[in-house]
Amino acid sequence: MNIRGNDALRQKLASEYVLGTLKGGARRRFEGWLYNDADLRNITAEWRQRLEPMAEFTTPVTPPKRVWKQIEQRLHLSPQGGWSLWRDSLSFWRSLGLASSAIAALLVIVMSTQLMSTPQISHVATLMDEKSQTAMLLTADSRHDTLEVRMVGNAPVPTDKELELWAVPKSGNPRSLGLLADKGSVKLALSSRAIGNDVALLAVTLEPRGGSPDPNGPTGPILYKGNWVRL
Amino acid sequence: MSLDAQTLDPQQLKTWLLAAGNKDAKAFRQLYNATSSKLFGFALRILHKQELAEEALQEGFVAIWNNAATYQSHLAAPMTWMATIVRNKAFDVLRRSDDTVEIDAEQFDSEVMNALRDPQATPIESLQMSGDAKALAFCMSALEGLHRQVVALAYYHDLSHSEVAQQMSLPIGTVKTWIRRSLERLRTCLAKREAP
Repeated sequence: MNIRGNDALRQKLASEYVLGTLKGGARRRFEGWLYNDADLRNITAEWRQRLEPMAEFTTPVTPPKRVWKQIEQRLHLSPQGGWSLWRDSLSFWRSLGLASSAIAALLVIVMSTQLMSTPQISHVATLMDEKSQTAMLLTADSRHDTLEVRMVGNAPVPTDKELELWAVPKSGNPRSLGLLADKGSVKLALSSRAIGNDVALLAVTLEPRGGSPDPNGPTGPILYKGNWVRL
Repeated sequence: MSLDAQTLDPQQLKTWLLAAGNKDAKAFRQLYNATSSKLFGFALRILHKQELAEEALQEGFVAIWNNAATYQSHLAAPMTWMATIVRNKAFDVLRRSDDTVEIDAEQFDSEVMNALRDPQATPIESLQMSGDAKALAFCMSALEGLHRQVVALAYYHDLSHSEVAQQMSLPIGTVKTWIRRSLERLRTCLAKREAP
């Protein structure tokens, strides 16, 4: 179908695209046309400007403070002492799309932890997704017996699910190391369960809220995996 | 109230949004302070559940920060641009969750449209709307009640023609015609209001 020159049709499709009633194949087709048709993009922008203010027809409700805290945390907006370099490096690194480079990850960790001086980082690991993109950074601090897990990517987790971290030993059942947030970072207790010599693999699985119901191991798919590097 | 009305000034919002595009976290915070209650009210209206609306707002502002550099002020008012993002995130959240949202076209009409029909009862100002939204409210109030409901239902609930028809127990042909005519009328009405 050629819609160039048919202004009535172009207006109708653009308005229904913005309203949302244009669905399925028709919607995808329209998006294809948008790509090559600047005039159609303008028409659509005009319709957006007309209809989208419907969003404001609702009574304002102040969101709880935690929403901003989470946004701030996710976007690393509040620099805190020695961490700021780390945060900056991380966002810089992300913006370059270098997430696949495990070596960069290790360098950043080593550099930033040296600046912090207090923790004794004994192990680091980068967990990758199926496309070999770095998804999580793990640092084991043997001085404080903490294991910090930091999300690198932005993979939303459904509200009824949670991420669970496992140490998979060479033999025997996987050992749960704890539940993770889908953004920001989480500190877990460090023990030989996590960094023992028999650990062959670290893995993150998608589990129901509260973690795997199976005491013998994960029930959901493996999203990310990787292994320790001893420093 | 006057403070909120002032902070929804498009020029001010635009300045903050453009600054956020240059990774100015302070301006982004001010943008959030000025618009989050409006956008949270909107997300709640779509999702009904507090938890889901918080998620949509969070996802929305993360996307606003990440995409602020691509904001083109000649194409959209700041609130329009941000509302588009939050609306899309709200529909994403809805699709991800197993919840089904209770649809209540009636409530929409009584909550908002009463205010528009009878500005004495609830002044439009108290809804803290931008000039664009006031103009649209005026033009929507000139539509027939059922036509207005059909348009609002589609917008707020991401419905297709047939889903709107089902909700309203109307033939799909009627819904298509009403939506097409209502959109044409809104366009004409808004163009008149823009004319000097």
